[in-house]
Amino acid sequence: MPIQTTVVGSYPKPPAEGETFTVRKTLHALERGDASPEDLKEAQDELVTTVIREQQEAGIDVVTDGLVRWDDIVTPFARHIAGFEIGGLLRWFDNNVYYRRPIARGAVEWRGPSSVDGYRFAAEIADRPVKAVIPGPVSFARLSVNEHYADHEAFVLAIAAVLAQEAAELEAAGAPIIQIDEPSLLGAPEDIDLAIEGVGRITGELSEARTILATYFGDAKRLGTDIFKIPTDAFGFDLVSGPENIELIKAAPGDKGIQAGIVDARNTRLEDESALEGTIEELVGIVGPERLSVSPSSGLEFLPREKARAKLQRLASVAKKVGA
Amino acid sequence: MGNVSLPGPGLWTTSVGSLPKPDYIIKARGQLARKEIEREELKELELKATREWIEFQDSIGTDVVVDGEQYRGDMVAFFAEEMPGLEIGGLVRSYGNRYYRKPIATSPVGRDKPITVEWWEYAQSLTDKPVKGMLTGPYTICDWSFNEHYATRRDFVLDLARAIRDEALDLERAGARFIQIDEPAASTRMDELDLVIEAMAIVTEPLSAHTITHICYGDFHRAYPKMLDIPVDQIDLEFANSDYSLLDEFSTDPFTKYVGLGISDVHTHAIEPVDELVEGIRRSLKHIPADRMFVDPDCGLKTRTVEEAKEKLTNIKKAVDVVREEL
Repeated sequence: MPIQTTVVGSYPKPPAEGETFTVRKTLHALERGDASPEDLKEAQDELVTTVIREQQEAGIDVVTDGLVRWDDIVTPFARHIAGFEIGGLLRWFDNNVYYRRPIARGAVEWRGPSSVDGYRFAAEIADRPVKAVIPGPVSFARLSVNEHYADHEAFVLAIAAVLAQEAAELEAAGAPIIQIDEPSLLGAPEDIDLAIEGVGRITGELSEARTILATYFGDAKRLGTDIFKIPTDAFGFDLVSGPENIELIKAAPGDKGIQAGIVDARNTRLEDESALEGTIEELVGIVGPERLSVSPSSGLEFLPREKARAKLQRLASVAKKVGA
Repeated sequence: MGNVSLPGPGLWTTSVGSLPKPDYIIKARGQLARKEIEREELKELELKATREWIEFQDSIGTDVVVDGEQYRGDMVAFFAEEMPGLEIGGLVRSYGNRYYRKPIATSPVGRDKPITVEWWEYAQSLTDKPVKGMLTGPYTICDWSFNEHYATRRDFVLDLARAIRDEALDLERAGARFIQIDEPAASTRMDELDLVIEAMAIVTEPLSAHTITHICYGDFHRAYPKMLDIPVDQIDLEFANSDYSLLDEFSTDPFTKYVGLGISDVHTHAIEPVDELVEGIRRSLKHIPADRMFVDPDCGLKTRTVEEAKEKLTNIKKAVDVVREEL
């Protein structure tokens, strides 16, 4: 039985060596006043078209738009939500990548969709399902500064209400799969009840779309099997940065899907084919082929373009072999 | 201060490392990338810019001078390009619309010739003040590179430590009395702070120069006081950027080393007025004595304009002069 392959979200923006990096050039031109926002959108549309084509050519079954219009998973939403300002640079988890931290200075309120147009464009381009990606409320809150709400809980739930509207709009636009990213939860097990409630407010708004709770950059052992109380259809784990996640996968309820991150999205060394084959076979043995989906360990933006592409090709070809 | 000494009661002024590149360097780097000029032409301009920055620092009375790193693109790639075992990889993003070429370790990493000594010697020939030797630390080079060769990060870091130690020894032999080993990545993972310490011990153990490390962009509150175990004489930290919140920690666990007191935010165009800088130094003197204190901007100034950097450095010097009168 075939084994589904997917990506976790981001894809490198720079082109292959020697090709023109149009988005970067256009952003520079925009800063100088030599380009318009429409020029930028055109360059981004072109990039989305390319990254979807590359994922399809590599043999990935469920693709994303590569999140190439975004700098990270929180600021593109924060810019559209009332109450937020964008603050100073901070390290993105344990990567040599930095993001601008959102600051909530007022009530957090929905002002219209942030990601729906982007989803529609990608769905139009792709010849297979496109997964929409949104931040989870706990990670969104923890990656931001709360200067408005009396406590963390109120802040998380206010964000959850806005994200619930976003998810409902994505579903209405036809998104068959919505992934909710909660990487911050791994380092904040005390927020598990908040995650159950906050993510539940999002998935409670949905009737058709399949939902995935994605974690990455570490293991979820401090959360334990409580993570499966979060009401989503599937769970994503990073088995490269968190090899111990295999124990949680073994303990997952039988009706939950597993998105297993098995190719290192943060190092260029290409995985050995036979080792990868062994990993997929082991996972099939644990969860069966129907519930399993295999992916890189996190978003691929941490790699140069050619390396990311080579990793996807390897992942897809080995998964195909095991699933044949 | 190791085997070195500086005149006066303390509160010496310095810079963290990088200084802005003048427009003529930026233009020439673009021309070189498009192969419109030769490498030698750019080098002439880098020498000129270095000369100008040394003259500027001398003119405002800076105590410990830097060469300004006019010849560097990126603080890791500059070393990686010269070190066997490291290759320059493809573009990856660091933030916003900024990208860098991330090195890849493909075989054992080492050093077969001096990397920074010639630039240090040139800079020192231009001034009577001590010029800092500037190195990127082993942990940061590892953390900001891909690893296709080593089985563990520790193996990679320790090979790098031996290479950087050799470079530091060459700087010392050339006459450097202040050697800074930057570890901005040291605040990334608290569970690897022991590895940062182990690697730094390899670098600094044979040195008699005054050793400094610069750490930034992190959650210092988690790393303190453990960071005091990093075997250097001085730790350089950003205070302005965090509104001096680290000083609270010093009440509980006293700061036991020389400090590089960063009092000017390098991520803002705004030039802090002298009064504000004076106030920052006064607050800090409640926790660290003047004869253990160097004063500088939060971080390298390379993202500012030349004019902004000069104004910030001038105001820091003016603020130090005000406070020195009060000692």
